[in-house]
Amino acid sequence: MRCYQCGAELSEKDFCTNCGADVVIYKKIMHMSNRFYNEGLAKANVRDLSGAIVNLREALKFNKNHIEARNLLGLVYFEMGETVAALSEWVISKNIRPQKNIADDYINDIQSNPAQQEMLDQTTRKYNQALAYCNQDSNDLAVIQLKKVVSTYPRFLKAQQLLALLYIQSEEWEKARRVLNRCLRIDVNNTMTLRYIKEVDRMLEGDEAAAKKKKSANPNSYTYQSGNETIIQPRPTREAFLGPNTLLNIVIGIVIGIAVCMFLIVPARVQSAKSDLNDELKQISENADQKTAQITELEQQVSTLQDQNDKMNDQLNSYYGEGGALQTVDALLSTVTLYIEDKQDLTAVSDGLYAIDKDYVENEATDSYKELYHAIMDQVGSDIATQCFDTGVSLKNQGDYTSAIDKLEKAWYFDNTDPEILYNLAAVYQSAGNMDKANELYNELVSSFPDSEFATMAERNIANANTVSVPQSGEDEETNTEDNVVSD
Amino acid sequence: MINFEEELKKFHPSLEIDQAEEAIYNQDLTDMADLLVNIIRESQEEEQ
Repeated sequence: MRCYQCGAELSEKDFCTNCGADVVIYKKIMHMSNRFYNEGLAKANVRDLSGAIVNLREALKFNKNHIEARNLLGLVYFEMGETVAALSEWVISKNIRPQKNIADDYINDIQSNPAQQEMLDQTTRKYNQALAYCNQDSNDLAVIQLKKVVSTYPRFLKAQQLLALLYIQSEEWEKARRVLNRCLRIDVNNTMTLRYIKEVDRMLEGDEAAAKKKKSANPNSYTYQSGNETIIQPRPTREAFLGPNTLLNIVIGIVIGIAVCMFLIVPARVQSAKSDLNDELKQISENADQKTAQITELEQQVSTLQDQNDKMNDQLNSYYGEGGALQTVDALLSTVTLYIEDKQDLTAVSDGLYAIDKDYVENEATDSYKELYHAIMDQVGSDIATQCFDTGVSLKNQGDYTSAIDKLEKAWYFDNTDPEILYNLAAVYQSAGNMDKANELYNELVSSFPDSEFATMAERNIANANTVSVPQSGEDEETNTEDNVVSD
Repeated sequence: MINFEEELKKFHPSLEIDQAEEAIYNQDLTDMADLLVNIIRESQEEEQ
């Protein structure tokens, strides 16, 4: 304790040992302040917050610089939901003692949490709004607003008390009592809360007494509470079961019940079951249709794929099968290989080349294939043709027409520019008795080589053949054909 | 019996955060010690 005049530390004396000022009353004032603070602290410890506020305010009236009292007052305000009042006390406290002051922590705690600060501000605004609704006789709106306030900030005592007052006004005593119980948990000795509780308890006791009285007045019924509602139910009596017509009434009731079942409920159930069955059948039918459509679609896909597969197989056969492109290419390559290995062995080369279809070469073969084919034909074609022609004529002269035809056909294959080969081939056919083929070849000779001497001979042979349609004897025919054969 | 209107008059709007500064400045911080010092000072002045 310091002297109010000079600021020196006071002793146990009644005057200041430094300046001599009389400090008797001053010391009493300080002691009173401390005493109120102690009482306030004691009440705060037992949650008598309103009592603590009174004492702490008194302490500060005696000594405004009592930091502990001011800080505790701020805490009590904060506990009751009076945030701004609490902050005010703490700010003043910090202003009085800037250093080593717990109020600094309290202020920082609130300021460091903006969400909480916003919540407190919103709650205060809603409470003020609710109070305004009350003053405008809009109690329902006020109740709604206050419910929000107490749900978000249950320690806001004034809001709880106002809500309780509104419930009392609307005679909702149970609700009011519950709210007041919450008020008591915040502040155990609040005068307003206790007064409201007294009023509510009195009204509740009155209700209970009235209920008991009602219960005793009506012994044929009993009452019980279900939530907020009072249920009154008549008591069953023995007379009800012992009446003379009771049994008859029960039988009639049963008969009526069965009739209702038979004529109303059963047909309806049957109809419902039929309807369900029809729906199920319809569903199954739709599913079956869908499945059928899917099967048809899949079959079409199978057919399409089968066609594609056949085409692919055909295409594959055209490459790899008998007479296919690959075999033809292999044949040409083998022939060329044989020719390169032994250029004198024309027999094997001729067999290889003769096996190649000329139509394929002209119409389907690739350019490189054609080039290779014509190159080898240029190299050996005329020699093979000459060799085959000579052999064919020789065989014809020996009377072996079949072999002669083979050789001459081969000669014509390798050299189709020489009308002599064609003429001899036709003549051999004629000698062999195949006049149709002979005429065909004669005609081809006439049309392909019209200026050739063999064309004239061919025309003559055709004319002779037409004149002598049926040979008289095999000897004559042989003589005739032998005359027509021309050889080198 | 509680009179609603009378009870309602006991409830006052709570101060909002932005009103805190004004509330602090308007608070009367005069205490008994201040009054005592004033009284002693005035009595000393009268004696002189």
